[in-house]
Amino acid sequence: MKRTVEKITLTAREKFVRQVFSTLGRAILFSVTSVAALAVLAIIFFIARDALPFFKNEGMREFFFNKSWYPTREPAQFGAMAIFTGSLLVTFFAVITAVPPGVFAAFCMSDILAFRVRQVLKPVIEMLAAIPSVTYGFFALVVLAPLLQNHGGMALAVAWWVLATPIMLVASLVMAELICGLRYKERAGFAVRAALTLIFAALSAVLLLRVGSKLSGLEVASGVNALNASIILAAMALPTIVSVSEDALQACGRELREGSYALGATRAETLIKVILPASASGIFSAVLLGVMRALGETMVVLMASGNAAQVPSPIYNLLQPVRTLTATIASEMGEADQMTGSSHYHVLFAMGLCLLIFSFLCNLAGEWIVNRQRRKLRGA
Amino acid sequence: MRLSTRKLLDKSFTFCAVMAVVVLTAFLIFVLAPIFVRGCGAYVFRGTVEYRRMMLDQFGRGDEVALAREIALAQTARQPVYSAVTAFEAELKQMPAARRREMRPLFKVVREGLELLLGPEPGKPLPTLPRMLYGQTRWDGARRHLKHVLYEVQWDYSDDDDGVRVLAPRKPFFAGTALEPIFDLLENDLDRMLNPRLTFYGRFLTDKSVDAHFFGGIGPEVMGTIYLALTAMLIAVPLGVVAAIYFQEYAEGGAVMTFLRSCVNTLAGVPSIVFGLFGLAFFINTIKVSQGKSVLAGALTLALLVLPTVIRASEEAIAAVPRAYKEGALALGAGQWRTVLTIILPAALPGILTGVVISMGRAAGETAPIIFTAAVSVGKLSRPLKMLFRDTPALSWNLYNICTEHEAVDRIRHVQYGMALTLVVLVLALNLVAILIRARVSKRLKG
Repeated sequence: MKRTVEKITLTAREKFVRQVFSTLGRAILFSVTSVAALAVLAIIFFIARDALPFFKNEGMREFFFNKSWYPTREPAQFGAMAIFTGSLLVTFFAVITAVPPGVFAAFCMSDILAFRVRQVLKPVIEMLAAIPSVTYGFFALVVLAPLLQNHGGMALAVAWWVLATPIMLVASLVMAELICGLRYKERAGFAVRAALTLIFAALSAVLLLRVGSKLSGLEVASGVNALNASIILAAMALPTIVSVSEDALQACGRELREGSYALGATRAETLIKVILPASASGIFSAVLLGVMRALGETMVVLMASGNAAQVPSPIYNLLQPVRTLTATIASEMGEADQMTGSSHYHVLFAMGLCLLIFSFLCNLAGEWIVNRQRRKLRGA
Repeated sequence: MRLSTRKLLDKSFTFCAVMAVVVLTAFLIFVLAPIFVRGCGAYVFRGTVEYRRMMLDQFGRGDEVALAREIALAQTARQPVYSAVTAFEAELKQMPAARRREMRPLFKVVREGLELLLGPEPGKPLPTLPRMLYGQTRWDGARRHLKHVLYEVQWDYSDDDDGVRVLAPRKPFFAGTALEPIFDLLENDLDRMLNPRLTFYGRFLTDKSVDAHFFGGIGPEVMGTIYLALTAMLIAVPLGVVAAIYFQEYAEGGAVMTFLRSCVNTLAGVPSIVFGLFGLAFFINTIKVSQGKSVLAGALTLALLVLPTVIRASEEAIAAVPRAYKEGALALGAGQWRTVLTIILPAALPGILTGVVISMGRAAGETAPIIFTAAVSVGKLSRPLKMLFRDTPALSWNLYNICTEHEAVDRIRHVQYGMALTLVVLVLALNLVAILIRARVSKRLKG
């Protein structure tokens, strides 16, 4: 039988060849990685390249401070202020509506619900974040818009009652308890407390009815408006906000919680006074992600916001149609496409550049906050 | 603060938190329920005889003989209506001029309504557009349409400024004429005229659309979406996995790596419409991968969009491979290359796959990046390689298109809902697959 003897040591030549191959492989890997990573620079470059001619030809002042957007008229007017306002308005209200329930839901999922429920709920929420935006837009256009238009006031009033009634009830209980605590240090009479609760409940009932009747009297001229877009954007941003803040709350660890409970704090006190400050950076990045999602979202606002380039008057009037940067790009690039090189083409890239810069700033802010928190934790 | 107050505050806090979850769930059900319920209506519905006629004409499906018998039956049921119409026409000619002027527009409305409900009258020249060749193919559509024929919408301003919508029956306008009986006939005998039957239209998913989605399915859109998503993943996965391997196994810190990493993070935050602009400016206008929009340009754009997700997921998967695996391989004399290829990648594969499947769902659902780079409203299917350089319809973009720019938005609601449902189910199914893979991996790692 012939035995082959395997060589273990390498000759110098073989070693050299291996070295060369290894270095070459590394170089290839590095270049592929750079291509993947530097794509963002290419994006910035090409968007800026097509945006700059606009600023050169038309100047910045009109773009940022003029409200009249008539890109196809002769002479064309490219005042994008109303569009910027629309974007900011819709994003602002979406985030305002999404953040409180989002953070509360994250509290609930991380500390209140049983572990088993959470294990089911978490993937479900992640799946919801994956639902395509155009389906949300479709819902906004086909279901919500007719509802708002035909029964707008009533729908708003019902939503207000459903949401506000339980909160008002709890609030009146808490107020009565607080006042009793101030007045009677030892023990409050049952009658006093009941009376106070009733008074507050009556007050909140009046408030509920007044606001409700005012809402139900509202006339909604068009179902596609800033309110519709804000609601749907909030719904879209919610899963992201909940999921990321829940991660942040979980990341605080058991020690902080157990320490707080050992000192006699209730769950609410632990969560608000200990866990919330400790996970503030994570929650802040969740909010930033929500802002970025709402601001960069195209299809929902294209379908739900009404696409009228106007500043609502008064500015907080959500029942008027608005138009956003993303929707303008999406709906007008088709027409402008044919005339590559026209001012209309370039102004849309200018808008894209603004969006890009904004998302860049959000990213920077997020990274800065996370780094600061990390440094703080290391220091402490 | 007193203990009772603190307890109450704690309980109210819990209440608010639970309420947030409940409201969130309720709202998401409120959004998804109509899409799921009415989306199923595109697949399962009560199809009328007109539907079966359309299927035979346009797709060659169904039993010709049985259908002929069925049509004959339906025709017998419809005959009184048509005779009444003919009789009324004759009557109209006899009327005094003033009354004729009054009746003619009313009659015209009824007649057009009948045509939409039952199809063109027998013996008349056939219209060219398929949408006018058939009556209502769906029973729910027929019921809705019947209402338009039987009633006229009026606004009652008597006690309110805004007006109240009231339905005024058309029958009294025709009292005493030959047309009067058809209203009762239609109301009572419509099911004999249309013969609705529960139909499962599974091929909605693969059929081409007939006459701009009036009939038929969403096949080209589904295929376009699949092409786009698959091509995008073919481009993004090699790039992303290589980058992840480099970041995890080769890179040794330093300013360059920090910079590259923050580049990837920034890429993740770029709004999707900006990707679309970039695809237009770079892939189409600068390096000209194709003449105008194409699957390739769209897929390249989508690949960039999902690249950060792929990189992150792959990095996590590679980082989760136990160190002992790698050390064992190195100790046995394998080089770094061989360790990565034969030990680390296979161990990280399920994790990478999870990220890839999730990214694929994202690529399939995105609309904004493909508006300027790939999507058109109408398109044909051809061989995959040829498709690469042609524009294509896609579920996401066409859903937008047919519910905003279609000429008869109200008549094709079922197609819109069906498309929305298909898109949601496609994306959710991909995510479900990812979750299942992840669950299996975590079970295996636990041992």
